[in-house]
Amino acid sequence: MGVIRNEIRRLRFEHGEMTQQELAEKIGVTRQTVNAIEQGKYSPSLEAAFRISAVFGRPLESVFHYSGDE
Amino acid sequence: MSFREKSAWISLLSMSVIYGVYFWSVIHSGAPAFGGLLGTVIAVVVVQVALTVGISVWKPKDAKAPRDERDKLIELRSMRVAYAGLATGIALACFFGAFDPPLVFNTNALLFILVTAETMRCGCQIVQYRRGA
Repeated sequence: MGVIRNEIRRLRFEHGEMTQQELAEKIGVTRQTVNAIEQGKYSPSLEAAFRISAVFGRPLESVFHYSGDE
Repeated sequence: MSFREKSAWISLLSMSVIYGVYFWSVIHSGAPAFGGLLGTVIAVVVVQVALTVGISVWKPKDAKAPRDERDKLIELRSMRVAYAGLATGIALACFFGAFDPPLVFNTNALLFILVTAETMRCGCQIVQYRRGA
C-alpha cells in the first residue's frame, strides 16, 4: 500500500506561519482534520487536496507526494 | 478534541453507565418494570442533551462547524460496524424468539441489541478519531 506524504507543515510556515485553524477555515474542514492530513494519518479527498494546493498557490504534486509499493 | 469526538464520548459513557445499571438491575431482580425501562430511556436522553448543550455552550464555534469529509467517513465506517452488530443481534433474537420467551425478555433483548449497536458505533468513532482517521 502506498503512502501519501505532504509538505503542508513547511508551506504553512512559509505562508506567514499560518495556523492549522486558519488553513482549516480556508478549506472548509476542522482543525483536527488538517492535523490528521499533515501527519499523514488521513488522506484527503481530491477536492480538499486541490483546495489546499490553491491556498498555497502551488500545483498539487508539489504539495502531495505519492510513494507506491517499493 | 473535536466536538464530534466529545459528542461520541458523551453518548458512549452515558449509555454505558445508565443502561449498564438498568441491565444489571434487570438481571439481578428478575422481572423488570416497564416504568423502569421508560425512566432509563428518558434518563439517557436527558443526560445526553444536557451534556451536549454544555459542550456547545463551552465551545460554540466548534459546535456550529458542519461535519467535514473526515467526520462523514468516520461516521460511515462506524455505522457499518454498528450495522453488523445490530444484524447479528437481531438474528440471535429471532433464533431465541423461536423458543417462545416471555415478552419482558424479548423487549429487553431488543433494547440490549440496540444499545450494544449504538455503543459499538460510538466506540468505533472514538477509536478512529484517536487514531487520526
